[in-house]
Amino acid sequence: MRDALNIPAPPDSQWKRRFVQPLLRQRSAMLGLAIIALYVFAAVFAPWLATHDPTAQDLMASLQGPSAAHWLGTDSYGQDLYSRLLYGAQLALIIGFASVALGLAVGVAIGLAAGLMGGRTEWVLMRIVDGLLAFPELILAMAFMAVLGLGTENVVYALALSFVGPFARMTRGDVLQVKNQPYIEAARLMGVTTAAIIWRHVLPNVVSPILVQAGMRVSIAILLESGLSFLGIGVVPPTPDWGLMIAEGRAFITMAPWISGVPGVALAILLVALNLLGDGLRDAFDPTTQKDA
Amino acid sequence: MQEPIFSLLDVERTYELRGRGWFHRASRQLKALDGVRLDLQRGDTLALVGESGSGKSTLIRLMLGLEPASDGRVLYGQRDLSQLDAEERKRFAREVAFIYQNARGSMNPRMRIEDILAEPIRLHGLCAESALPERVAALLDRVGLPTGLLQRFPSELSGGQIRRVAIARALAAEPQVIMADESVAGLDVSVQAQVLNLLRDLCREAGITLVFITHDLGVASYLCEKIAVLYLGRIVEQGPTDAILNTPRHPYTRALLQAFPRFDMPLKASLSGEIPSPVDLPKGCRFAGRCPQAQAACRETDPVLTALEAGRQVACLFPVAAA
Repeated sequence: MRDALNIPAPPDSQWKRRFVQPLLRQRSAMLGLAIIALYVFAAVFAPWLATHDPTAQDLMASLQGPSAAHWLGTDSYGQDLYSRLLYGAQLALIIGFASVALGLAVGVAIGLAAGLMGGRTEWVLMRIVDGLLAFPELILAMAFMAVLGLGTENVVYALALSFVGPFARMTRGDVLQVKNQPYIEAARLMGVTTAAIIWRHVLPNVVSPILVQAGMRVSIAILLESGLSFLGIGVVPPTPDWGLMIAEGRAFITMAPWISGVPGVALAILLVALNLLGDGLRDAFDPTTQKDA
Repeated sequence: MQEPIFSLLDVERTYELRGRGWFHRASRQLKALDGVRLDLQRGDTLALVGESGSGKSTLIRLMLGLEPASDGRVLYGQRDLSQLDAEERKRFAREVAFIYQNARGSMNPRMRIEDILAEPIRLHGLCAESALPERVAALLDRVGLPTGLLQRFPSELSGGQIRRVAIARALAAEPQVIMADESVAGLDVSVQAQVLNLLRDLCREAGITLVFITHDLGVASYLCEKIAVLYLGRIVEQGPTDAILNTPRHPYTRALLQAFPRFDMPLKASLSGEIPSPVDLPKGCRFAGRCPQAQAACRETDPVLTALEAGRQVACLFPVAAA
């Protein structure tokens, strides 16, 4: 028996087998990842890829269709749509990831505190979370934009706040399950400090469904952000933002459909790609949907 | 005489059972342990034997400080377990190790065997960070496992391997006392023998004090020098293994021995009925209801654990005569 088992496992194979291979097996997720990589590339290299200043107005060249000078045409102020699209990708991705990251950090902290402390702390925290969850995300974000005022950072804060509830509730549920496992008690018995138990034993066992959820939330965040900007309560107008661009083009939809069409299509493709990746992540790592566990 | 490392002074553990509903608030008490008195000397190997529900696991959880005693005191050395300060608690955590019945469940499924074994060493600062891999490998070698397992996760090991890893982890902090809960139950006979031999060698070589829970008298006699038989939360007979196995003085011990399968004898079901509920303990001797030789007095008087001969105690009004 010993001989058969004495084959040492290569050090990295476990990591690859657990995290990389399940994802590689999801074909549609890899397609989504490729598209997202393209968007990220466009966003990072926007200053070099853009042909014009995204906020430079040229009223002489307004409402032009696609041409050699303006690859995707111009809007009613004569701003270059191609350049605005690239900078818009930057903004959309930054707001999407930043708001989810912030919401995740706060939500997980609340969930951990509620799940581990229990008692009155848990009751108070979960009632606050219930309050946040009572409103649909868009309504909650709109209410906070009304309070905080316009601006890119405020969009991030408002969206992050609307994500705190789901993350907190999910974390608490998983923590309640993990905290009664024998290995937590065993660690306490060995004299491991509370902070180390949370960091080493609780968090790693609740983190994967949370990260899957975060991946799916990014697309919701981008959609909500565009929605807020479209409604005029998001980022401030000259900023190149897809939601704003769609709103600006609305009046000219019959004369110059490309003004709304270009950012609209870009947004739709990005959201589909993010959802593909999110679904792939869920299928690969969420134990409840795992087929070959 | 050397001082005991563990002493239990009339330890009780009761659980409140809340009545259901608005009008049945009257709570009832479940007595999991009822007046347990036990002394453990340094270097002792003690087996706690009894049926399911006899309070073996509760007793060990109390001795580990995982649960408070409702009454009575659990002393570690000279100190009450419930009154240890932070410094003493840390020392206790290092000196007393516990091997869970569910070995796999007692290990974080997201950690490699290497990290699981390194954790207690690192925690108590037992060696320099550079010497850690060597030390972990030595631990694994000591329990007879190949070092190739270091990079695996607990779910990838077999039942026998994971139990040996659990033993290795218990040894990692260089403990003086090891407590084990049914550490060989449900294993193949061959693997069981390996694990038992390992535990026995460790205790003999390192002079470790061992408390071993089992319902298997064969395992108890192989591994331990002393046996304490529990029935319904009380020790009914206690003494050296040989004496207890050869001349059981308590009817319950005798019945347990007769229920143990042997090659040369047909098996007779000597114990009828279930262990009674610890919620409503019968008056008098708690074994009277199942005892083949119960007399009228047994239903009236609750016998206490009394010394019969040196190192031998029985809680019975009419002990079985020594054969």
